[in-house]
Amino acid sequence: MVKKLQGETFLLSANELRSGKVVFFTSKGWSSSSSEAIKIKVDEIDRYEEISIKEEKKCIIISPKFVELDDFGNIKNLRDKIRNSGITIKI
Amino acid sequence: MYKYSDIDKKIIASRVKQFENQVNRRLEGKLTEEEFKPLRLMNGLYLQLHAYMLRIAIPYGELSSKQLRKIAFIADKYDKGYGHFTTRQNIQFNWPKLLEVPEILSELSSVEMHAIQTSGNCIRNISSDHLAGLTLNEIEDPRPWCEIIRKWSTFHPEFSFLPRKFKIAVIGCAEDRAAMLVHDIGLRIIKRKNQVGFEIFVGGGQGRTPIIGKKIRDFLPKKDILNYLEAILTTYNQEGRRDNIYKARIKILVREFGIEKFRSLVEENFSKLSNKELEIDDKSIEEIFGFFRLPPLKPNTNQIPSKNNHEYQNWIKQNVIPHKIQGYSIVQISLKAPKKPPGDATSNQMIALAEISEKFSFSEIRVTHEQNLVLPHVSNEELFNLWNQLKIQNLATPNLGLITDTICCPGMDYCALATARSIPISQKISSHFNNYLKQKEIGDLKIKISGCINACGHHHVGNIGILGLDRKGQEFYQITLGGSAKEDAAIGEIVGPSFSENDLIDAIEKILDTYKKHKRDKSDDFLSVFRRIGIKEFKKDLYDNFTKKA
Repeated sequence: MVKKLQGETFLLSANELRSGKVVFFTSKGWSSSSSEAIKIKVDEIDRYEEISIKEEKKCIIISPKFVELDDFGNIKNLRDKIRNSGITIKI
Repeated sequence: MYKYSDIDKKIIASRVKQFENQVNRRLEGKLTEEEFKPLRLMNGLYLQLHAYMLRIAIPYGELSSKQLRKIAFIADKYDKGYGHFTTRQNIQFNWPKLLEVPEILSELSSVEMHAIQTSGNCIRNISSDHLAGLTLNEIEDPRPWCEIIRKWSTFHPEFSFLPRKFKIAVIGCAEDRAAMLVHDIGLRIIKRKNQVGFEIFVGGGQGRTPIIGKKIRDFLPKKDILNYLEAILTTYNQEGRRDNIYKARIKILVREFGIEKFRSLVEENFSKLSNKELEIDDKSIEEIFGFFRLPPLKPNTNQIPSKNNHEYQNWIKQNVIPHKIQGYSIVQISLKAPKKPPGDATSNQMIALAEISEKFSFSEIRVTHEQNLVLPHVSNEELFNLWNQLKIQNLATPNLGLITDTICCPGMDYCALATARSIPISQKISSHFNNYLKQKEIGDLKIKISGCINACGHHHVGNIGILGLDRKGQEFYQITLGGSAKEDAAIGEIVGPSFSENDLIDAIEKILDTYKKHKRDKSDDFLSVFRRIGIKEFKKDLYDNFTKKA
């Protein structure tokens, strides 16, 4: 999961196994709100990767990933922004 | 339309139970995601950007009102009140919960539908001409053949783990409305010396290596079709690459071997299959054809109502075509209303359309690969009443075949593979060109938009193709010109450097200016002009006007 990471700060995100909805790892567990997510420094990645593997094994989440933040603490990539904020179009 | 036999019903019901059991085992931790993923994909269940996505097969694009109502029910109860019709005559739900998918599949099975083989490296939903059985110039209705092939290919033990996915399209006339030539196998029903059979193409496809299918057989008697398909699939299964996903499709094999060598291998396998097991007898063919008879339409001299209403007149001109039975029309319903995502329909629209189809079209609805719908058998005298009812549902946009009738994949708004958004581009185009007369002046023009190189939006075969790219974190759009998905199929040529989202509409306008400059008369459409003058003229006019380039 960490092989292609660039940047300094990240959020740990995943999809909930049962619902598929996007979730972020917070101090209280998984939340759909990225604003509550723990900001993870690059040297803490291994520890959080272990957490994500355990959470996967417990059948809580699937497809865990680290979401890169920019210098201002905002989600950097468009795909991750859309994943966090939802579709950009009206139905 | 085809009705499930008792065996079909048992197979589908047991599959639902099987998947329910697999989901339960996954939720209990008895299956890992690695073990579960191929099982869910075999049932059309993906994990996308925001949620799971369930792809449901609409075999050869044919739906009953009962089925459409069930889809609407599922959209409301288990999803977010809408569905997305795809470029292979499927429908996708973007927000189902894993926990509820077995229930959804059970609901679907109650109306003879399923999601089997809508994903995975197997033979996918057989697609066809949405006007099958409706036009005078058809040699034979391709839908029974789609059904025969569907029966053969469903759960075929040898072809459930092919090197890569496999798509087959069948058409019944010279006009190709099913993009047959960009399928792994394309079948065209033809007549030779009073005998009806198949002309067979192989190795077409889009994605990162777009290729037009090559003819492998000039003529094959109908009874041999399953043996011949078995021979092609066996050859592919034996020789296709499994070491590199990008080189695993049959098109790469055909290209690397050359059509002559590939043909000789297929013919060799075909001769080995002369045990007649798969030969179809006339009785079986007749039995399947029995499911696809026309409803009781009586030829008459009823005329299309003439009303002093421009919107209605435009719709008649653009969206309505004659049925082969005099006095009836085929109504094409655009799912490309301004500012709406192409191919999306809300549950309310689906419910209304189910009712409308019962009232006006013998409860039958067709789905097109261009992400529109069709009411196949409408009495001419009912057209004004029908138009009024469609208009209430925002389903009467008169733009079939025009510039705002775009094909568009879900793009980065939904898809985990996408490199850029595609729906907002389509919406910009539909807003910018939202004037019927302006569109008519441009004439027939297919714009097709993909959010990545996998080409689900068929950009390679758009007259104007748009491919969304990621350039250092920014969305850019590459334009191709001159593609066609019809009987004159062609892969579009890249016009030059890509454009930002903000510059894209101007770029399209410049391309249209070049077209208009060289257009000789009303019948001289975009593709004809492109083929006559080539890409250089377009390129010169386009890039002389732009300084911002990627």
